[in-house]
Amino acid sequence: MSDKIELNTDKTAATEQQSTETQQLIVFRLGEEEYGLYIDQIKEVVLTPNITKMPQTPGYVKGVANIRGNIIGIIDLEEKFGIKEATTTEQANRESNYTLVVESDEFKVGILVKEVPNTLSVNPADMEHSVNVVHDNSVNSDYIQGIVKLKGKLIILIDIFKVLNEQELETVNSAGVGTN
Amino acid sequence: MKSKDQEYKEIFLAEALENHEELNRLMTVLEKKPGDTKSVNAIFRITHTLKGNAAGMGFKNVADFAHVLEDLFGEVRDGKLSLDDDMFGSLFKAIDVLGALINAVKDDGKVSFRGIKTKLEVMLKSVQQEGQDKATAEKPLEEKLQQPAPKPKRGATSKGNKKAKVTPTRSSKRKPVSQGKAVIDKKSAEKTKNVPAESVAEKVDPGVENLDQVDDTKIAFSDLVQVPVRKLDNLLNLVGELVIERDRIISANSARINANEYARLNRISSDLQYSVMDVRLVQVGFLFNKFHRVVRDAASHEKKKVTLNLEGTETEIDRNILQIISDSLIHLIRNAIGHGVETPEERKKAGKPEEGSITLSAFSESDAVIIEIKDDGRGIDAAKVREKAIKQGLISTEDARHMADNDIILMIFEPGFSTMDQVTAISGRGVGMDVVKKALDSIGGNVSVRTEPGIGSTFSLRLPSSMAVKGTLLFELDKETYAIPLSYTEAVVSLYKPDIHKVSNGLIATYLGNTISVVFLSDLFALKAGESVYDKKVLHHSYDHLDPGEKLDIVIVSYNDRTIGFVVDKLLQQKEIVEKPLMKPIDQVKIISGVTIMGNGHVCLVFNVAAICNMVFAKSFSNKNAMSHH
Repeated sequence: MSDKIELNTDKTAATEQQSTETQQLIVFRLGEEEYGLYIDQIKEVVLTPNITKMPQTPGYVKGVANIRGNIIGIIDLEEKFGIKEATTTEQANRESNYTLVVESDEFKVGILVKEVPNTLSVNPADMEHSVNVVHDNSVNSDYIQGIVKLKGKLIILIDIFKVLNEQELETVNSAGVGTN
Repeated sequence: MKSKDQEYKEIFLAEALENHEELNRLMTVLEKKPGDTKSVNAIFRITHTLKGNAAGMGFKNVADFAHVLEDLFGEVRDGKLSLDDDMFGSLFKAIDVLGALINAVKDDGKVSFRGIKTKLEVMLKSVQQEGQDKATAEKPLEEKLQQPAPKPKRGATSKGNKKAKVTPTRSSKRKPVSQGKAVIDKKSAEKTKNVPAESVAEKVDPGVENLDQVDDTKIAFSDLVQVPVRKLDNLLNLVGELVIERDRIISANSARINANEYARLNRISSDLQYSVMDVRLVQVGFLFNKFHRVVRDAASHEKKKVTLNLEGTETEIDRNILQIISDSLIHLIRNAIGHGVETPEERKKAGKPEEGSITLSAFSESDAVIIEIKDDGRGIDAAKVREKAIKQGLISTEDARHMADNDIILMIFEPGFSTMDQVTAISGRGVGMDVVKKALDSIGGNVSVRTEPGIGSTFSLRLPSSMAVKGTLLFELDKETYAIPLSYTEAVVSLYKPDIHKVSNGLIATYLGNTISVVFLSDLFALKAGESVYDKKVLHHSYDHLDPGEKLDIVIVSYNDRTIGFVVDKLLQQKEIVEKPLMKPIDQVKIISGVTIMGNGHVCLVFNVAAICNMVFAKSFSNKNAMSHH
């Protein structure tokens, strides 16, 4: 903890005010890297229920599942980020053990993860917000909120709602159905 | 049906009493803050509603009385009349009498109200008179100053009343401000004199005396509880969950426990479900009665003569469905008047009665409710529709030639279609009919048209009677279970590969002597992003890989007069399901209308037949057209 505080003193007064509160992150592994989400975007972590395939959705949408009576879409971020090859819903049903349920006012989705995610307290001083990353065209580039460096680990902090912007789902879908 | 009438009377009473109470509350607010436009508007609205409801139920006294109040507050709202203490006195009495009138509906009691009503009318007339006087006097400044207005009116009303009333008791209590505006007084007094003096004398007093009855205020409790629809929706959802949970428990324990053990649970939960559904049912008459006005307005606008006949008004339907289709019905009725019914001259020439008729009827058919809008007008001219559809680029010329008249007529439901050459206020803007189709699709309904040139057209809407439970057919496709609503399915047939033929980009087969389109659902579902149904060979894929000996299960569905056969992997069973909507962001998938949860906790997708048919048919029209333009 002490080295963090040291770092803190170098920052401007404005960040110092922010940094008085540590942020809670949920950290999970996608491929070889670790990704983080702010804990307030996450509703729960559950054992992945049976996923039902959904037609005419992008490949990374594995389908829908019943989580406590709510029917929510299940998303494979590894596929979305191009970390692994496309899989089928059946494979997803066999492989993925946990589902992170993320929720906003607008929508609710489940993210497939293989291991139980960890929680992590992070001092904002450890977050680097302006990161220069090379993006591809398939994703909205500002979904990466920053990089967290902590104890030799590197965590990619993402804004899940920017990853799953609805417009994208819509355009992909209407392309499948044909335009009016 | 008598019990139903009774029920509606009760509902009216409950609403009216609530309105009355609200009026009382608003009046007290207004009295404290006379300039409160919000209260005035609210009072105006409530009296208007009350008038409408009472008129609809045939309680003329209440309707008339509320009408006078409405007019009066209309004037107040427009700033033509400002209220003073004196008038508040009368208005409170008026509202008491209104309450008594409403109560009289319940026990058929007699309430004299003409006195107070006359008094209100006098107030009203004096305002209107004053408006005229001012106009002739040409004193625009004074009009702008609102303050001086009440004084002469106070004189006017009390004066007018004094003259009208033979017994001066009441008016003597009033401040006798009788200076000025004698002209108005006379005029208004004269007006009231048109009411036979005798009857006024007789009725004013009982009207006022009646207040004594009202005065020993009893707090009335209605036998009805008004429940917001939201709460009912919630209740229904919970019952749905219960049923799903019941099925889950039964299937989980089916190995250990005899199914009979659950008979009671089954019965109680089903009863509960149907009771909740029943609570949400309303008579279509509620909606139908509102159309008298729609017809009148539309007819007078079009300078046509039209009568509206209602049939089967006691047919019951889910309240939410009625709400969803109400706009569609308005469109269809306006359309029937705008396009269907001819002008009186034309009708005479055609040997029809001058007055056109529109019949709105409803009846139940198994678990559906059919609503029909029938006119005796000129009918739909298929040739004209065809011409228009080509002109507007909805279909290509070749397609138009091949299409049957019935199919052509369905083009009127396409977005942007209108046969009217001139745009009128109520029809001809090319919006409306596609709205009808959309509304029906959203609730799993169907629309069909029957038309005969010169005789008339009938639009028939087939609606589910309840949105709570859907009868569905379960089938298997690619190892997943799906449900397809029975409201669209016509039959289930088995065919072999040789029965199905490739034609152009699609597949066809013969069913009951008719040629129908056949679609392998697996092809539809295999569509990837960027592909569309009319990409070459997309719909042939499964067919090409088929073994001729394999028996194919085909579900025949019909949607808006179009029949299509869906090839599925395996038919399972019929099941009543509780459908849940998809949540964002996956609700963008149009071919799935919702989901249901199976006994094993898995999610089962419910097919949106309307969307699939639109995708396969209507869109292929526009596509072909787009290609012909290239």
